[in-house]
Amino acid sequence: MRIKTISRSVDEFTRERSQDLQRVFHNFDPSLRPMEKAVEYQRALTAAKLEKIFARPFVGAMDGHRDGISCMAKNPNYLKGIFSASMDGDIRLWDIATRRTVCQFPGHQGAVRGLTVSTDGNVLVSCGTDCNVRLWSVPRPSLEDSDLSSEKSTEVVHCLFFLITLYSLVLLFILITSFFLSQPSAVYTCKNALLAVDHQFEGDLFATAGAQLDIWNHNRSQPVQSFTSGSHSVISVRFNPGEPDILATSSGDNHISIYDIRMSSAARKILMRTKTNSIAWNPMEPMNFTAANEDGNCYSFDGRKNEEAKCVHKDHVSAVMDIDFSPTGREFVTGSYDRSVRIFPYNGGHSREIYHTKRMQRVFCVKYSSDATYVISGSDDTNLRLWKAKASEQLGVILPREQKKHEYNEAVKNRYKHLPEIKRIVRHRHLPKPIYKAKAESRAMNDAKRRKDERRKAHSAPGTVVTESHRTRRIIKEVE
Amino acid sequence: MGGLKRKSSSSAKALAKSKKKKGPHLPNSILKVIANQKRPLNSDEEDDDDVIGSDDEHGGDLYEYEEGVPEEESRKNNRYDRHENYDYELPEDFEDENVESEDDDDGGNTDNDEAEGDDDDDDDRHTRMLQSLTGMPSAAFEGESKSKPVLFTEAYPEGEFNPTRDVLEGKNVLTEEDFLAPLEGTPGYQKTSKQIARMRKDTKHVVHAPLPKPQRERLERKAVIGLVDEEFSKWVHLVKKNREAPTVYFNQDVDLGYSTVGAIASEFQPRTEFEKKMASVLNDSEVSEAHRDDGARLLELNEVSMEDHIKDHNHIAKMRSLLFRHEFKSKRIKKIKSKTYHRLKNKDLKNSSLGALMDPEMAKEEAMRQEAKRVEERMTLKHRNTGKWAKRMISRGLNVKYDGPKAAIAEQLQMNANLSRKMNSMRDGSSSDESDDEEEFNDGSDEDTPSRLIAKAKEKTLKALEDDEVPNAGLMSLPFMARAMKKKNEEANEEAKRALEEYEEWENSGGENSKKSVTVSGRRVFGATAKVEAPKESRKDSDNFYDDSDSDNDMARIEDNNIEPVRDNASPARNTITETEFDDDVAGNPASKTTFDVAMFASGSWKKMTGSKNTESKKASKKTRAPIPQAQDKKGPRDEESGDSESEAEQMVDGVLTSTSKETFEVPSQAELINRAFAGDDVLDEFEKDKEEVLNQEVPKPEKPVLVPGWGDWTNIQKKRGISKQMVQKHDAEKKEWEQGLKTRKDARLKHVIISEKVDKKAEKLHTTTLPFPFTSKEVFEHSMRMPIGPEFNPSTIVGELNRPEVVKKTGVIIKPVKFEEVNPNDEVDDEHPRNHQKQRPKKKTSRRQGKVKSK
Repeated sequence: MRIKTISRSVDEFTRERSQDLQRVFHNFDPSLRPMEKAVEYQRALTAAKLEKIFARPFVGAMDGHRDGISCMAKNPNYLKGIFSASMDGDIRLWDIATRRTVCQFPGHQGAVRGLTVSTDGNVLVSCGTDCNVRLWSVPRPSLEDSDLSSEKSTEVVHCLFFLITLYSLVLLFILITSFFLSQPSAVYTCKNALLAVDHQFEGDLFATAGAQLDIWNHNRSQPVQSFTSGSHSVISVRFNPGEPDILATSSGDNHISIYDIRMSSAARKILMRTKTNSIAWNPMEPMNFTAANEDGNCYSFDGRKNEEAKCVHKDHVSAVMDIDFSPTGREFVTGSYDRSVRIFPYNGGHSREIYHTKRMQRVFCVKYSSDATYVISGSDDTNLRLWKAKASEQLGVILPREQKKHEYNEAVKNRYKHLPEIKRIVRHRHLPKPIYKAKAESRAMNDAKRRKDERRKAHSAPGTVVTESHRTRRIIKEVE
Repeated sequence: MGGLKRKSSSSAKALAKSKKKKGPHLPNSILKVIANQKRPLNSDEEDDDDVIGSDDEHGGDLYEYEEGVPEEESRKNNRYDRHENYDYELPEDFEDENVESEDDDDGGNTDNDEAEGDDDDDDDRHTRMLQSLTGMPSAAFEGESKSKPVLFTEAYPEGEFNPTRDVLEGKNVLTEEDFLAPLEGTPGYQKTSKQIARMRKDTKHVVHAPLPKPQRERLERKAVIGLVDEEFSKWVHLVKKNREAPTVYFNQDVDLGYSTVGAIASEFQPRTEFEKKMASVLNDSEVSEAHRDDGARLLELNEVSMEDHIKDHNHIAKMRSLLFRHEFKSKRIKKIKSKTYHRLKNKDLKNSSLGALMDPEMAKEEAMRQEAKRVEERMTLKHRNTGKWAKRMISRGLNVKYDGPKAAIAEQLQMNANLSRKMNSMRDGSSSDESDDEEEFNDGSDEDTPSRLIAKAKEKTLKALEDDEVPNAGLMSLPFMARAMKKKNEEANEEAKRALEEYEEWENSGGENSKKSVTVSGRRVFGATAKVEAPKESRKDSDNFYDDSDSDNDMARIEDNNIEPVRDNASPARNTITETEFDDDVAGNPASKTTFDVAMFASGSWKKMTGSKNTESKKASKKTRAPIPQAQDKKGPRDEESGDSESEAEQMVDGVLTSTSKETFEVPSQAELINRAFAGDDVLDEFEKDKEEVLNQEVPKPEKPVLVPGWGDWTNIQKKRGISKQMVQKHDAEKKEWEQGLKTRKDARLKHVIISEKVDKKAEKLHTTTLPFPFTSKEVFEHSMRMPIGPEFNPSTIVGELNRPEVVKKTGVIIKPVKFEEVNPNDEVDDEHPRNHQKQRPKKKTSRRQGKVKSK
C-alpha cells in the first residue's frame, strides 16, 4: 500500500547563496486564479499612472551659444560628444555627460548652416552663409573633459594650500580656454552661400547644398561632382546610412529629389505643395525616408514609390524644422517652429510624445542620440536641451529584477492600451496654451472643410467630386 | 560689265571658294561674279558644269580686267576687292544704272560721293590723329588710309560663325560634291567618291542632333531610377524580416571571440608532455609531407625503438606461454578417469544456461525459477526505483543531471521489465489457462456458455463449502474473530446450498429466460453480488496478465486487493454464492438464479461529466448510490475501478431490479423510466417562471399610471378627467418600447433558453467598444488577450519571453545602421514567440508591402 505524502526535495529548496531569494512554487492552474484578467488590468492601470508620475523627460540644458542654434551634428563614434553651431558663426563641441563645452571652432563669419561629422568621428565639416566649407579635426575625447568637476572638488579639499589651488585653477582655466579653440584643417570657398552639409556614411565624401548640390572629397578644394536643378537653391541634404551612395535633397521650389552620386542626374523628384525643410532616412530600412514639411506634417516615403506617402505624421501646428531618426529605425524626433519637440513612431500617424518647456523657443534642430536613449534639441533661445527619449525611463544601472518589472509593466500596459481608462491616461499630455489653441483651431477648420466637402459631394453628380487621401493630398506629382 | 559687277557685289562669296581653278589665273571676285551671273543659285552638279562652260566663254573678256585688281588679290579679304571694283567702275556707268533697290544703292552712292569730296581732308586728319596718338611717323599709316574706303554691310566678318543669309535660309549650302569636284581626276578620286556614296546610303551611323535638354534629363532620370530602385529592392527581404520579428535586438553586438571550431583549434597550445609529443608529431613537416605524397615514406619514418620492440616481444611471449599452459591443463583433465569427477563437472555445466538449452527438464526447472523471480519482482517491485537510493536520486532530480545515476536507474527499469515479463514457455501455466477461459467467456454469446458457467459456479461453490477451515494464524486466529467467522461461514454455507439448488433448477429449466433478457434494450451491468476467494485469485492473475507495468493499474490492483478481503469479511454470506465474474463489458446472459441488480444505462439522459477527475467520478458514483443503497456496497468500488481503468462514459442512473429468475422480468421503456424518475418535479414551469423573472429584471415592465388621490389635482375638476392624457401616452410609449425590447432579445424566440443581456457596469471598463486597430477579427483579438502574461500566472521560464519589449537596446551602446545581408524570403520568422499573435501587423500594410517586391 502506498501513502501519498507531500515530499519536497532538499535540492529544490536550498538556496545557493544566502542572499538568494527563497524559491516559491506556484500552481499555474488557471482554475485556481479566476481573477487574473482583472488583476492584470489593474496592474496596467497602475503602470499607466506610474508612467505619468515618473515622466520627467528633461535632463538638462547646454548653455553657451550667443545666438540661436542653427544646426547640430552627433559624433557617430562617440556617444558623449555633440556639435552645435549658431547663427553667429560659433561652433561648439559639447560633452553631454557634464553638459559643458569641450571645444570651440571659431572661424565662420556669418551663420553656420550645416554641420556634419565623418563616420569615424575625426573630421567635422561645417558650412555657412559665408560661402566657406571648413574642415576641422575633432579633438580626441580625453578623460579630463568628464572628470573636470571631480578634479576641482578634490582640489578644493586641500584648502590649506588655498592660494596654490587658486593658482592652479587659474592655470587650468587658461589651459582649458587655450584648448577650447581649434583651427580648421582646411577651408574651401564656394561661389554661393551654403545651406546644408551632410557626410557620407563610411566614406570620405560629403555633400553641400546651396545654389547647387556639390559632392566633395576631404582632400580636394573643388567639388568632385555637382548637380544643378532648376533655379532654386537646395535647402537640405541627407545621405542614406544604409546605401552610402544615395542621398536625398529638398529644394526651395518644393521638390524632394533622390540622387545617386555615381550617376549624373537625379533619380526621383517629388513635387509637393509646400517646402520640405529636412529629410531623414530610416537607418534600418534604407528605402524609406521621412520628410519634415513646412505645413507641419511629416511624410514618410518609400524611395521606390513616390506618388503617395507611406504615412503622414500629423501633430505639429507649425512648420517642422528638423527631423532625425532613432538609430533603431522605429521612431523619429522632430523639432518644430511651434516651440515643441515631438517623437513619432515610424509607422504611426500621431506622435507618442511631446516635449516643451516654457523657455524653449523655435526649435531649429533635433538629434536622436546614437544609443536611442536621448534626444537633443537646439532652439532659438541659444540653448541645447537634452531630453530622455522615453520620458519615464529609469536611467542608471538597473538590476535584473527591476528590469523585469519594467518590462512587465510595459507589456501589461501595451496589452490593455485600448481599454478606455488606460488609453485616456496614456494619451494625456499637457500642451502649452498656444499649441493647444492652434490645435483646436486647426481641428475646427479641418472639420468644417470636411463637412463642406461631404456636402459638396452629396450635392453633385456621383464621381465628380473626389476626396483625395491624406497621403496624396499634399503631393502634386512625381516629376517624370 | 560694271553693272554686272555691282549686282554681284551683294551675292554670296562663299561660292567663289568652290570655283574650279581651271583656266588662267583669275581673281576671286571676278570668278564670283561669273558664277553669280550664270547660275541661278543652284547647287546641282549639272548646273555647276554649265557654269564651268560659261566660265570658259567669258574667259576672254575677263582677262582685260586682270590688271585692275592685283592689289586686292594680295589682300584676301573679300570686303576690300568688292569695294575696289566698285570704286573703279563707278564714274562710267553711274547714270545708266538701273537702281533696283533704293536704300541699298542710294545710300551707298551718296556716302561715296561725300567720301569722294572729303577724302583727302579726312585722311589727313586721321593720319594726324593717329600720329599724335601713337607717336609714329605718318608714313606708317599711309597704306591704311589708302585702303580705308570700305563698305561694311555686315556687323561681323562673314565666316564659319557668321554665315550669310542664303546659307541660313538653306540655299547655296555646300555639299560633299562641291568639295569633291576639284579632286576629280586625281588618283584617289574614285575611291573617295565611292566611300561618300556608301556613307550616304548608310543611315545607321548618322549622328543625329542631340535632344533638347529637358527631354534628355528625363531619359537620364529614368535610367537612374531603375538603378536606384534596384538598389533599394535588394533590402526588401531584410527589412521585412526585421519588421516581422517580435523583438529586435540592438544590444548584442558584443564580441564573442571565436566563432568556429577551427579558430579555437588554431589557438591550441600543447602543455602536457603527451600533448607536446603529439604536437611534435602532428606538426612534423616530414610526416605531413610523406602523408601528402603517397604514404610510402611513412613506413620509413615509422621506425620502432629498441625498447618498444623488446616490450612487444615480451608481451607476445607471455601470451604464448599462457596459451600453452591452458592447453596443458585441459589435456590433463581429459586424462582423468574418475566418473564422479566428470559427473560433477557436467552438473556444473548444466546449471549454467548452456545446459538448460539441452535438457527439457532442466529448462522447465529453470523456467520455474525464472517465474519465481518474476513473482518476487512483481510483489516487491524491487527494481522499479522504489529503493531508497533510487528515490533519493529521483527526488533530487539527479537522475536527469548526471549520466551515472541515469544509466543505473534505466538499467534497473530494464531489469524490472525483463523480470516481470511473462515467459512464453510458461504458456501451459494455470493463469494462462484462466485467461483462456476468460477469453472464451468474454466472447461467449452462444448458448452453452451459461450452462458452462453454471457448472463452473457449482464446482466452485462446492469447493468453497468443503474448505471452510479456519486459519490458524494471524488476525483470523483470534477467538472472537474465529467465532464471527464461523457464524458467517454457516450463513454462507446455507446460502451456498441454496445457490446450488438454484443452479440445478436452472440447469433443468434450460435457457429460455436468458433469451428474453438478451432482447432487452439498453445496457445492463450485473453487479457481481459477492466474491469468493478463488475467483478473486483468478481475477488477479488475469489482471496481471493484462497489464504489464502500468503503474495506474498497479495501484488499482493493490486497492482491489486491499479492499476485497475486507468486504468479504463484512458480508461473508455472499461469499459462497457465485463466482460469476461479470466484467463490465460482459454482454452474455447471466444465468445465475440469485438475486442480482440490474442497472440500466440511459445513455442519452445522463450528461457526462467532462472532468476526468477521480473526485468527480466518485461523486457521480455516490449520486447513483443514493437511490440504491443495497447495490451500492458491492458496486461502488467496482464502479470506481471501471472509472479508473477505462471508461466513465456510462454511469448508472437508476433502476433497481431485484428479481428471482423464476419471474419474468419486463424492462420498462426509457421514457417510462425517466418519467418515473422525475415524477415529482415540474421543471418546465419552474423554468418559465425563472425566465419571466429574468426578463422583468432586465427589461422592466412599465408601471401602469395610477390615479393617486391627492396627487396632481387641485380641485375636484381634475378628478373628472381621470388619468392625464400625457401620462397615458407616456405609458403607451414605454410599453411599446418594452415590447420592442423583449422582441429584440436574443432569447426572444428560444423557449427553453435564457440569454442574459444584463450589462455589468464594472465589467464594462474591461471591454472595448470597437476592435483595436491592428486586429481584423474579434476571435484573433480575444485569443491574444486570453492568457495572462504575469509572473504569477506563468512559469518563470517563459515570463521573460512573454514580456519582452519590441526593441531591446542598451543605454550606452551605439547602434549602427543596418548592414546588408542576404535573407531568404521563404524563411519563417520564428513563431515560437508567445506574443506573436499580439503583434499582428495591420493587414493592409503587409499586403501592400508584399506587393512591392513580394513582401516587406
